[in-house]
This record gives sequence, C-alpha cells and structure tokens, in this order.
Amino acid sequence: MDELLEQFLIEGRELVQLAADDLLALERDPADMARIDSVFRAVHTLKGSAGLFDFAPMTLALHAAEDLLGTVRARLLAADRGVIDTLLACISANEAWFASIARAGVLPASAGDESEALCTALRAPLAASEHTEVVAPASARKWLTTLLDRARNTLPDGDAMEPAITAIRYAPTADCFFLGDDPMALVRSIPGLLYLHIDAREAWNLENFDPFACNLRFEALSTAPAADIKQVFQFVPDQIEILPLRRNKFGATLSDRAETGDLADDIALRTLRVDASRIDALVDLVGELIVAKNGLAHLVGQAAATDPVLARALAASHAEIERLAAAMHRAAMGVRVLPLERTFRRLPRLVRDIAAALSREVVFEVSGGEVAADKSIVDGLFEPLLHVLRNAVDHGIEPASARRAAGKPVVGRIALKAERSGDQIVIAVSDDGTGVDPKKIRAAARARALISDAAIDALTDHQATQLIFTPGFSTASAVTNISGRGVGLDSVRASVAALGGSVSLTSETGIGSTIRVSLPQAVSVTSIMIVRAGTELFGVPMNVVAEVTRVPPARILPIRDGEAFVLRDRTVPLLRLSSLLNIEAAPRAATDARVLIVAFGDQLVGVQVDSLGDRSDVMLRPLTGLLASMPGVLGAALMGDGRVLLVLDLPELIG
Amino acid sequence: MSVRLEDNVIHLNGSCGIADVEPLLVLLQSPPGRAVDLSDAGHLHAAVFQLLLAFRPPCTGHSAESFLAAWLMPALMPAQKGQGSALDPLGPAAPDPIH
Repeated sequence: MDELLEQFLIEGRELVQLAADDLLALERDPADMARIDSVFRAVHTLKGSAGLFDFAPMTLALHAAEDLLGTVRARLLAADRGVIDTLLACISANEAWFASIARAGVLPASAGDESEALCTALRAPLAASEHTEVVAPASARKWLTTLLDRARNTLPDGDAMEPAITAIRYAPTADCFFLGDDPMALVRSIPGLLYLHIDAREAWNLENFDPFACNLRFEALSTAPAADIKQVFQFVPDQIEILPLRRNKFGATLSDRAETGDLADDIALRTLRVDASRIDALVDLVGELIVAKNGLAHLVGQAAATDPVLARALAASHAEIERLAAAMHRAAMGVRVLPLERTFRRLPRLVRDIAAALSREVVFEVSGGEVAADKSIVDGLFEPLLHVLRNAVDHGIEPASARRAAGKPVVGRIALKAERSGDQIVIAVSDDGTGVDPKKIRAAARARALISDAAIDALTDHQATQLIFTPGFSTASAVTNISGRGVGLDSVRASVAALGGSVSLTSETGIGSTIRVSLPQAVSVTSIMIVRAGTELFGVPMNVVAEVTRVPPARILPIRDGEAFVLRDRTVPLLRLSSLLNIEAAPRAATDARVLIVAFGDQLVGVQVDSLGDRSDVMLRPLTGLLASMPGVLGAALMGDGRVLLVLDLPELIG
Repeated sequence: MSVRLEDNVIHLNGSCGIADVEPLLVLLQSPPGRAVDLSDAGHLHAAVFQLLLAFRPPCTGHSAESFLAAWLMPALMPAQKGQGSALDPLGPAAPDPIH
C-alpha cells in the first residue's frame, strides 16, 4: 500500500476516534467549547486528508459534518441529541469506510449513497436554523482556515513543539485613526508573534483615497496564551477575535506533510508510529531466529564428534546467540505493551448505542485506561468487555419505570474500572441494576439440567451465581437482539480464559452486580507452528523444531518396519505424525514430504506432517481434568478464529 | 519631519506617525511612481503603512527596526515575496487547498 495512504489510515482512524470521543463528551456537556473546537478540527483535518485521495464521498460527508460543526461552534445551533446522533452516524460511516480502505484500498460501492444520505441528514439541522444566518459562521471561521493554510509554510521549524497557538483577527474600525489609535502599535505588541498577515478590508479606492479611514485587517498567530493577547487589545475588544488553538496532538497534520513532503517535525516528536503488523512481523522474525538458533545446537553436537575444540567455540557462540535471541524476544514483546485505553475508548459509543436500542438510560464511566498490557490482551479484551457491557445494559439496568418503582435514580450507572493488582490486571464492570438473584440462577440451572440437582443444592449463593458463566445458560426471559443471541456469558469466560485470565461475578439482588475480569499483565506467548495430520490441525512449539525440510518420496528409504531418509550425510528416522497420533493418514502423495526435524535426545528425528500451516503466537493453557494426563499433549491454545488447537509435545510422542 | 524627498526618492526616517500621512500621500500621488526608501524607517503608524500598501510604491532599503524588517517589509517588497513572505497584500485571494 502507498505509504501516504497508510499514514492516512493510521491518522484517519485516530481522528475518527478523537471525534467520536469529543462528540460523546459533548453529549454530556453540550457547552464544552474545547470539545466543539476539537471535534471541528478533527473533522476538518480528516476532510483535508481525504481530499488528497480519491475518496469523494468521504470528503463530501465530512464537509457537511464540518459545516454543521461550524454552526454549532458559532453558537448558532445547540449540540442537541439529534445533532450529535447525526454527527456520530457520519463518524461511524467513516470508520466503516476506513475499514474498507484498509482492506481493499477503496471505499465500498455503497459509500456514494451513504454519503448522500449523511449529507442530507447533516444539512437538515442547518436548514432548520436558516433564519439565523447560517452562512456567517462558516465564513467567520473560514478566515482561520485560510490563515492557517497560509501560515503553514512560514511557521518556524519545531513549531510542532509549541504547546498552544492563539489566532488573532483584528479589524480596527474605520475611524480609529481619529480616535488616536495606532493599530500597528497594538499589533507590534502582540507577544510571541509567529505569523502576521495584513490586508485590506475592502478594495482600495485610490481615486478618492481617504488616508484617515483605516481599511486594514490584521490576522496573526502567536505562541502567547489568549489571556496575554486580550490584555494587549483590552481597549478594542469589539474589534478583535482571539481564538486559542490547541495544537493537533499529532504535530503536523497529514495535509502538511503531503504539501511539504517534510517529516522533520516527526523527528522532533521523538516517537515513531508504527503499524502494529510491522511489530508483529518483527516478533515473527525473532521467532524464526529462535528456531534457527535451535538448529545451531545440533551442529554443536555434530561438531563435538569430530572436532571438540571447534565444538566448544561453537557452544560458546551458541550460548551468546541464545541469550541475545531471548533478550530480543523480550524487547520485541515489550513493544507490544499498550494502554487499555486503546480498547476502552471504543466502548462508550457502543454502550450508548446499546442503551438507545434498549431504551435504557445509562451513564457509563470509564477509568484506569492508562493501565498497560500486552497488545494481544488489550485487543482481545474488546469482545468480552463488550459482551459484559451488553449484558449489564440489557439484564442489569432495569427499564426506567422499574427503577423509579424501586426508588432508584432513573438513570442507571455502569462503571468500568481497570487497576493493577500484583502482576494481574483487574477490570471490573459494575452496574447499579437489578443484580443476579441466586434463586433464579438455581432454578434456571435446574430447568436446563446444567448440573445435577444435588450439586445445585450444595452450591453456596456465590457459587450459584457463577453458574451464569456456564455454557447454555441464559436467564433473560425475553430474548433481545442485543444479548439474547444464544451465547451467554460463557463466551466471555472462554475468551478471557483464552487470554490467560479468569472472570467472576459478585452481585447483590436489587442493588447491582460487578463482573471482575482478572488478566495477566504480560502474556506468556508460545510460538507454534500449525501442522496437519490427516484432517486434524495441531500446534507444535517452534522451539523443538530444529528445521523444516522437504523430502522427495524417492529419498525415503524403508528400514525394517520403519522409514528413514538422509539429511546432510546423516540417516534420520522418519515418523509420520498421523501414526504417532493414531489417526488416519492421508495417502502419501507423490510430491515432496513435509518433514519437521525434531531434536530427540542427541539425535534428530524427522516427523512427517501432511501439511504445514502458519506460525502463530498463542497462549498455551495446560489441559485440566481427565485430559491432563493425556500423553504427548503440552496444552491447548485458543486460536483467533475460536478453534481450539492441541499443542503437541513431540519429544514425548516420539519417545 | 519623518518624510523627506531626496533625488526623487521618498525617505521615511525614524518613527512615522499620523502627522506624516498627508505629506506622504502628496508625495506618492504627484506624480505617482516615486520609490520609497525604508532604510532608516522605524515604527510605521498603521495609517502610513496603509498608504504604502494601497499605493504600492517600489520600496527599497532594509530597516534595522526588527518588527518592520520581519513583518512589514516582506509585504511591501514584491521581490521578496515567495521567499516565505508572511504578508500577502493582495488580500484574500490565496487559494485554500483544503476548502
């Protein structure tokens, strides 16, 4: 993908997220000017960036959103629920478009129609307020845009580091000279002047020039805070507009870069934004390095037979490489540590949508987003948390009438809180809803025959409450399209378990419940190779695989009741994974056999597999219960697609 | 007096105030086309600057006065335009790449 487009995707998605955050904050406090400014800028920048590519529907929709925001910003229109809804719809559409661009490089075919519908919806509130002069705000703010565009190339280097910039527009009255004012003297005293633009307010009339009518207009950017600038212009407050601009936290905007082709600002920022897939590629490479290093161990063994001195030197070198490879693996995994915020910030909008769909009034509070964990945990948390939140809105928070009857505040409260506890991260989702009634849980468990009646009776209330996580359990009497999809909280438990964590519920009937998700901060990730034997897929830890090779059928030699082949002058026994596992083998094809070379004691063994799949980093979970004693199996791993993969202990299988 | 004519070149000296507006206007208009030397100019009153901006006489010289040199001269000297001039005296016609 084109680098510029890649950058656009990264920044664009951040801007979309930023805009969504701002809109949600605005919904809580519609008068928050800083948020209005921020969302306006995000949409504006996004529009500018989209314009660099052939994404006309995106640009059009964003333009309409910008107009609407401009009106809100000029206080000609209140940011009411309808306006926020429309803007959020536009932001969601952009999110979907970004997904399509990331996937296919183009907008989806439906984008044109969607954009048109969005434009109509975004313009509707403007039309309604037409009598209040809608054109004015757009042009009023246009000067700022124009000013920033002009100033872009003239701002001194390193301006991205400035914490804040203030934009000033000063239009002295025509008679100011008569009043003894010298506007130039005022402009001269603007502290921290970064940029100045002076032009004529109206076209010059040189025929009948009136030298004592001031026809000047000053526009400036300054690094000084707005308050200091107000001080300078304190006697002409009616002639001045002062706008504090928060610096785009990403430094230069994309359009800056596109125009100047200059990344100097980024160097100053000292951080580097890298696509996550490139980090993953790095981790993969480190994994390969570890495999290659394992191969070296066998060379050491071989060398020992012929040249002990060389073998010792090789062994020392091998140890050093081993240490470095391990350190590199740790460092690469460290890069993947991210704040939970990354997942948390997507949730408020979804909770809002869910609550709206279910006609519940809910306040959602999030805290602890700064707690960091491995990327796989941060990303993997999204699904289970969303499920828990859905559940809290749907089954926890009662309808307004029921809440009123129970003497509770009509608006329900859901709080999401993350904190570090030892080497664990605990994420608690609490609601002040109806709570979980152990009696009902017991009854439901009985009705569904989840466990025996005797076992149910033996459970404490707390234990009974945990039954809610059992597969096949769902207590909601009405099936809703939000959480009644036949999957209950058991899917939460499964996905949290896949991340190496656990989940529990505490509840007080009528008062509310809290679901606690405990997770390891760092994952102990095992790199595995996925192989097929017969029709089954298995995982094999990379660290036992010395190398992977192909053996032509002609080179496979029958030896007594077994098989072998020659690998670099050594005869290596060849075993078939399907026979080791007693599963039906695929008929041996005429093509090359795919063979994993595995170290077994001090000799090598070839294990033929029916095909080789991808490599993958998984959370290896030991098997429990009856399966725990199953020989040849290290544990199970839950794959990204929900499949459970058995990870094999090849040396044990061979022996 | 801060405005003076010498060899058909208008010289602005030191701080130019509102009192300099009329004489400067006369010198700029009759006849038009005289150059203005800003080498020794200091602060220019807005009304004085406005005259230069409106009539656009050829301006020469480099003032040592920093505000004038940094922010006003580039607008008055077309030759320096394009070298990162902060001023665009022709007004709002600059195309806006985003809008």
